[in-house]
Amino acid sequence: MYRIRFHGRGGQGIKTASRILGTALFIEGFEVQDAPRYGAERRGAPIFAYVRADTHPIHERGVIHRPDLVVVADETLLAISPAQVLEGVTDSCVVLIYSAKPEAWWRQQLPDIAQIVVLVPLESLSVAIPVGALCAGAAAALLGKVSAEALAHAVEEELSAHDAAMVESNRKAILAAYMEVTPWRGLVCSSLPLGVAQTPPPVWVNVPHDAVDIGAPVIHAGATSGLVKTGLWRTRRPVIDRERCRRCLQCCAWCPEGGILAGADGWPVIDYEHCKGCLVCAAQCPFQAIGVIPETQAEGGADAQTADRK
Amino acid sequence: MTPEHSGKAEESPRQRLLSAGTPMCAGCGGLQALHQIYDQVGEKTVFVNAAGCMTLLSIYPYTPFRGSWLYTAMACAPAGAQGVRDALDVLLSKGHIDAGQDQLPVVLTGDGSAYGMGLSATSAAIDRGLDFLYICYDNEGYGNTGHQYSAATPAGARTATSRVDGYTGVKKDLFAIWSAHRPAYVATVIGTEPADLARKVKKALSLRGPRLLLVLAPCPTGWGFEPSRMVEIGKLAVESGIWPLKEYSDGQVRHTRVPAKRAPLEAYLGLQGRFRHMFVPRRNEEQLAALQRQVDDYWEHID
Repeated sequence: MYRIRFHGRGGQGIKTASRILGTALFIEGFEVQDAPRYGAERRGAPIFAYVRADTHPIHERGVIHRPDLVVVADETLLAISPAQVLEGVTDSCVVLIYSAKPEAWWRQQLPDIAQIVVLVPLESLSVAIPVGALCAGAAAALLGKVSAEALAHAVEEELSAHDAAMVESNRKAILAAYMEVTPWRGLVCSSLPLGVAQTPPPVWVNVPHDAVDIGAPVIHAGATSGLVKTGLWRTRRPVIDRERCRRCLQCCAWCPEGGILAGADGWPVIDYEHCKGCLVCAAQCPFQAIGVIPETQAEGGADAQTADRK
Repeated sequence: MTPEHSGKAEESPRQRLLSAGTPMCAGCGGLQALHQIYDQVGEKTVFVNAAGCMTLLSIYPYTPFRGSWLYTAMACAPAGAQGVRDALDVLLSKGHIDAGQDQLPVVLTGDGSAYGMGLSATSAAIDRGLDFLYICYDNEGYGNTGHQYSAATPAGARTATSRVDGYTGVKKDLFAIWSAHRPAYVATVIGTEPADLARKVKKALSLRGPRLLLVLAPCPTGWGFEPSRMVEIGKLAVESGIWPLKEYSDGQVRHTRVPAKRAPLEAYLGLQGRFRHMFVPRRNEEQLAALQRQVDDYWEHID
């Protein structure tokens, strides 16, 4: 059985990627499961999707804890522990990372990962293609069991609701990604289905009954959601240019998160711990005083800003 | 907002009452409006939240609210609000709380519940004259489950269950349905018109009885646009006239903003993926003209 786990962010087409790969495998005669994880499919939030394929009936269900291939559509997720990108990765598992950084760099960053393949962004693409789709193409090649024809058919089938030009540009891009990793074709090995013998028994913990005011799911404090750092969703960061800002504070009013507050000195301050990077502020600033930089170029900046506020 | 920075204090408080850290999508128009409303209604409220996107506001042990919050099934948030009101009344009558500790039941639902599943419970609550505020964040579809069509989906919009030519029905007129019950107050609002919204919240809070704030909630995920364009699209909804800002009270309907010169509807439609099929591969002139005509017909009868 092949177990493939996709990691990306909402908006990258991760669910569609799992469907394209699943359909391609199905066309090749496999029994297939593909499913996204339900619950947090928010734009920018970590997204998971799973594909299982086997020549025999599949009796496993649910989340994939022991993958044969992990696909990472957004490299920044590797640094975020709740994204669980490397969960259950063993030496036989291949990790495919969509990144402009070279493989050698990733080997240094992730010394414990035995097999890393890097899919570099394809500069030949004239239109923006969802990263998830490119990853589906590369994943299909790594499995070595999907022909280019089956992959092309799967793209057409999964994108059938879209117009022909869009299907065509996606098909081309996915096949380009497929060709890009051809040197590693067939690198992913299938593993045996996990039977009862290979599955560790559950660890039972006896929890005594608590009084209802403790045991019930009642929240006794207000405004606790501030503890959730939704700033992790952000891929691009708004930055206020104080040379241009005239402290009109319209950004504070427009921010859908309530994430821009006026400091004591009258300057607007962006709460980077919670800003999801919607960039409404940058689009609406009447003085073009809010610039946008990729989050990857702002490393360390978050801490400095937070310190500023305190 | 510091007091010395006068004049802007209401728009830009130092601290928003509703806390950040919720799982709403980046660029959520509903959350933008809820922030503004919550700043005014405050923490002496019991939010009664039917299933929908905003159910996810409070996921144990996290909540953005400073006051109380209660979760109900999709069809029965107004019934939940009745229970809360009754319980508070019992506490008041027995002297367990005083009038200063009383709270306002606030129903919070999406359009799926407000226009469809919850309409029966809503109608009954208005019949009983329940003293409550209803906030509907209307993103014109079942947004939390992948944006299937709802009774609030506008004609022609693509949804997960109307993929090719778009929704073939029409958007139900919830404002008219509520007004026909002769409740205390009904208003349409949008977060991108904060002054109009603030005035209507203030008015709603000055009244007693059933009150509705019907919020158009531009939805990047379900409508198919870049989150950064949310405010632009919200403003165009008003300027094109497809989302009329109006209020009902004392048996009268008043339009609170009549665009002097309406923006062409296609300026609004063209920014959204859900209407893209009307523009590519070729323009559907007939459908575009029909939708424009509906807007024009509406305003023809408005002074």
